[in-house]
Amino acid sequence: MLSKLEKFSRWLSGWFEWIGMAALLLMMVITFIDVVGGKLFTWRLAGSIDIVMVSQAVAIAFAAAMLLILDKHVQITFLVDRLPKRTQAVTKSIIHFLELGLFILIVWRLFVFGHYMQTGGEGTGTIRIPLYPFGYGMAIALIPVCLVIILRLVNSLARAVGR
Amino acid sequence: MNPATIGIIGIVVMIILFLLRMPVAFAMILVGFAGFAVLSGPGPALSTLSRDIFTQFSSYPLSVIPMFILMGTFAYASGISRRLYETGYAWVGQFRGGLTMATVLACSGFAAICGSTTATVATMGKVALPEMKRYNYDDTLATGTVAASGSLGILIPPSTIFIVYALLTEQSIGKLFVAGVLPGALLTLLFISTVFLVCLRNPSLGPAGPPTTWRHKLKAVSGLTETVVLFLFVIGGLFLGWFSPTQAGAMGAVGALLIGLARRELTWRKFVSATKDGLRTACMVIFIIAGAIVFGHFMTVTRIPFMLADWMTGLPLPPMAIIGIIAFIFFIGGFFMDSMALTVLLIPIFYPLLISLNVDLIWFGVIVVLLAEMGVITPPVGVNVFVMKGIAPDVPLESIFKGILPFLVALIVCLIILIAFPQIATFLPGFASY
Repeated sequence: MLSKLEKFSRWLSGWFEWIGMAALLLMMVITFIDVVGGKLFTWRLAGSIDIVMVSQAVAIAFAAAMLLILDKHVQITFLVDRLPKRTQAVTKSIIHFLELGLFILIVWRLFVFGHYMQTGGEGTGTIRIPLYPFGYGMAIALIPVCLVIILRLVNSLARAVGR
Repeated sequence: MNPATIGIIGIVVMIILFLLRMPVAFAMILVGFAGFAVLSGPGPALSTLSRDIFTQFSSYPLSVIPMFILMGTFAYASGISRRLYETGYAWVGQFRGGLTMATVLACSGFAAICGSTTATVATMGKVALPEMKRYNYDDTLATGTVAASGSLGILIPPSTIFIVYALLTEQSIGKLFVAGVLPGALLTLLFISTVFLVCLRNPSLGPAGPPTTWRHKLKAVSGLTETVVLFLFVIGGLFLGWFSPTQAGAMGAVGALLIGLARRELTWRKFVSATKDGLRTACMVIFIIAGAIVFGHFMTVTRIPFMLADWMTGLPLPPMAIIGIIAFIFFIGGFFMDSMALTVLLIPIFYPLLISLNVDLIWFGVIVVLLAEMGVITPPVGVNVFVMKGIAPDVPLESIFKGILPFLVALIVCLIILIAFPQIATFLPGFASY
């Protein structure tokens, strides 16, 4: 069951990362078109800054789960790695528990923030792209992060109790 | 309990979480949120949490980071590093220690299109180490050179640390970039001199390679062309005000991509891999910045940075001594923390103090980057050394650290020169228009 969930979480995070990659490339292409249009043809792409902003939100949020799976976040490892295995498992359980609490909170608040932006009709500065879908999107993008942390928490708890 | 005491408790808890291996970004967000909730109430803390994360993830000024990171990963995928090394090799390979000198030069060249130390080490390590092994170079010298020279990646523009520093201190990214040019050239010279002196003392460490003809040397210069053109286009464009920082990064990324396509080096697989690498690094950096922002709000309500500024400026010490203390804290912190994380953690704390001391923030940015360079090569958290170890698994970690020591001396010499002659860093930014 656990390994099936792990596979699913990796699969989902992998797909989300593709969305993030597309958003990142869109940022580059939009900026390139805007610069070339502006410098060579005196034609500016209206709302290029707005598109770059929302694309970045998508890129970063949708890459978060894979970043966690691959352990690419900056961490200080020299102390915990020297502890006995059982102690490591206990400290990891505590840390994953705190991380889980934090990300559940972030996901919940991003949904609330998305709703707030929806009811307030908030949009970007130039071409008024509605912001609420990106608030909801970020919340959804961070759900696999919670899933990855839950799986890590279960694994470290199992190690802590010696299974 | 007064806000300052809560702030100090928060800092201690955050350090404990760091040591227990919680990702730096998560620890900063968690402590920043909890501390803010204690001081301002749960309601404002919850609203600030989501707003801060949304605002940072969608921040246009931060979009410069993914663009320059993407430029570096595309440059790597386009095989630019290999051609740079071949040029260096053709010019200095026949001297004693010549291959390591070529490595320093190639790292310096690659740093001109890539803003990350780890990417520079990973890239040049893969290219240079097999060659140095082939010519019986000492493993300690070879690995130490690559790990140390890779640190040039954050001094010679573009540089991710400069970008983050600029955003935190409201300085011009363009001015900071050009401020790194002369110190970068100076450090390259110091590294080459270090190799020369090490090999003069023990010639067996770096035997001379086969001689090359002048024709070969001149032909090899073509390997520099694309790097020079891309660097001048991107950094020159930023310097002259043609591009905003984000635009410069995007143009550089497209430029690196086009070089790869023109050279037929960039396959679909390499393109996907470079985009993934760029996205992951950008995500990591922006998460840390979001963490720093959440934590920074907590620090602001504790008023610790302002109290620290008042206290330190009241000390009977000259401003230079106070700057020395700050630099020492960065230096010691660099032993234990990633340089990016350390920068986003310490700069907001010391910023009010730096302002009250009337410090030239462009010059100080270069000093911070030099200290960060020391941080990435010193134990126990010398990230460049770990990347090097990944490329050369047969070389013990101790040997790599031993190989780095002479370069650490060169970095300290560079730091002293920059403190004595700040004009080296401040001269060029005077001409920048962005």
